[in-house]
Amino acid sequence: MEDIVVDINDVSLIYHERSGETPAVDHLSMQVKRGEFVSVVGPSGCGKTSVLSLIAGIIEPSSGSVSIDGFKPGYMLQRDHLLDWRNVEGNILLGLEVQKNLTPQTRNCALGLLDTYGLSAFAKHYPRQLSGGMRQKVALIRTLATSPDVLLLDEPFSSLDYQTRLRLSDEVYDIIKNEHKTAILVTHDISEAISMSDRLLVFTRRPARIKNEHKISLSRGDTPIARRKAPEFKDYFDVVWKELDVGEV
Amino acid sequence: MKSEKAAAYSPEHAAFLKKLENRDRFVTIARYALLILLIAMWEILARVGVIDSFIGSSPVRVAQTVARLYAAGDLFLHIGVTLFETVVGFLLGTALGTLIAILLWWSPALSRVLDPYLVVLNALPKIALGPILIVWFGAGVSSIIAMALLVSLVVTIMSVLAGFNEITGDKQLLMRTLGATKMQIFTKVVFPASVPTIMNALKLSVGMSWVGVIVGEYLVSKAGLGYLIVYGGQVFKLDLVMSSIAVLCVLAALMYYGVAYMEKRLASWRYHS
Repeated sequence: MEDIVVDINDVSLIYHERSGETPAVDHLSMQVKRGEFVSVVGPSGCGKTSVLSLIAGIIEPSSGSVSIDGFKPGYMLQRDHLLDWRNVEGNILLGLEVQKNLTPQTRNCALGLLDTYGLSAFAKHYPRQLSGGMRQKVALIRTLATSPDVLLLDEPFSSLDYQTRLRLSDEVYDIIKNEHKTAILVTHDISEAISMSDRLLVFTRRPARIKNEHKISLSRGDTPIARRKAPEFKDYFDVVWKELDVGEV
Repeated sequence: MKSEKAAAYSPEHAAFLKKLENRDRFVTIARYALLILLIAMWEILARVGVIDSFIGSSPVRVAQTVARLYAAGDLFLHIGVTLFETVVGFLLGTALGTLIAILLWWSPALSRVLDPYLVVLNALPKIALGPILIVWFGAGVSSIIAMALLVSLVVTIMSVLAGFNEITGDKQLLMRTLGATKMQIFTKVVFPASVPTIMNALKLSVGMSWVGVIVGEYLVSKAGLGYLIVYGGQVFKLDLVMSSIAVLCVLAALMYYGVAYMEKRLASWRYHS
């Protein structure tokens, strides 16, 4: 059982506002094992992001428990939010600075990541000089630089155009596997979820509960793009599509 | 970037750039021409008697008055006094205003409590407080600086705070996902991101400080450009009034451009790429 990295146990979450309360998560339990890539799909506004925020410890559950004992989360948001006044190097060191862990060693490690993933030529460039895909990659390296154990990916590709999105999901998949990270991806894109993950959770409409769970095993392909061509891909897609029950638009 | 591309420009693009350049040159020339035209008209109308130069002065009389002030050693005394009061009032207003804005950003509760007070203070014509300032700070430079401070302070607080609050929650969320404290969120994201807004606020408050100082000098002063204007008006020496205003125009413009230059330097990342 020491292989469990994230353990969510009977968690409920209610958002309170002056105008009323909104239940976002309803008695949710899930576990993620070390090295696993888990995707969460669900209708928009179903509370997927709330689950990531709970795991990251940014919000507290109303009831139940979330534990990632001893493991360090690293969050990647939908938009890159690079700081315009810092160059690429300054941006990827932000997390280390904030965590007061910026030593020559960790700095070299971060710059090494930049090098490994083909961005070292842009270290002195400013965010506005980079393309959307490159910016998102810098954002990922900023997250990785703090050496997290679990990556929480909140629709990290949704602000990109389709081609960039496919290419980047390949690269991010590569990076995550290379660095042996555990990852939880939240997305509304069924194909993306199937092509990247080992396991897929389908959430219900808000308040979020787990509707079903699929172990993804595809007979071919070791990159998300190649995996999309596996014969089983379409079957997974159809099943998940039905479960999502996108009744009305 | 420009130099790299220059060689590759097509003749059409070169023509386009030439056109832009010509247009820019036209604007510059037109600006100076207008100034010269206005001054020339003023002088001519004064000479032919359309403008009574006793109450309307004239450019030549203004120049003579400035020269006379300079010869008597008074010009730089008055400029110095007014400039000193303005700069001190401006710096105090900026420092204090930014500090208060930081406090209000830090504590939304405090901000909500003080909001109506700020609104009233902002709406209040500060000159109404003049007599109080004179009683409290004495009939001198301190009262004038206090007036400049009062006039610029509330505007600075409000615009800087608006700048802080403009920084989206998402960037703050990012910082929280990295485990940042509120202090770190402020120093690493909110403040640097607000530099352009703060600079705009400064441009505004430079103008406000001039207003405060001149009003202050109207109320109580023994020297300064505001003093010269009031004195000139009382003794019906319109040459002196006009000259002081001309000097004031130059000074205010210089100080504004000074702040604008500082803005360009400090916010240089905006001009990268």
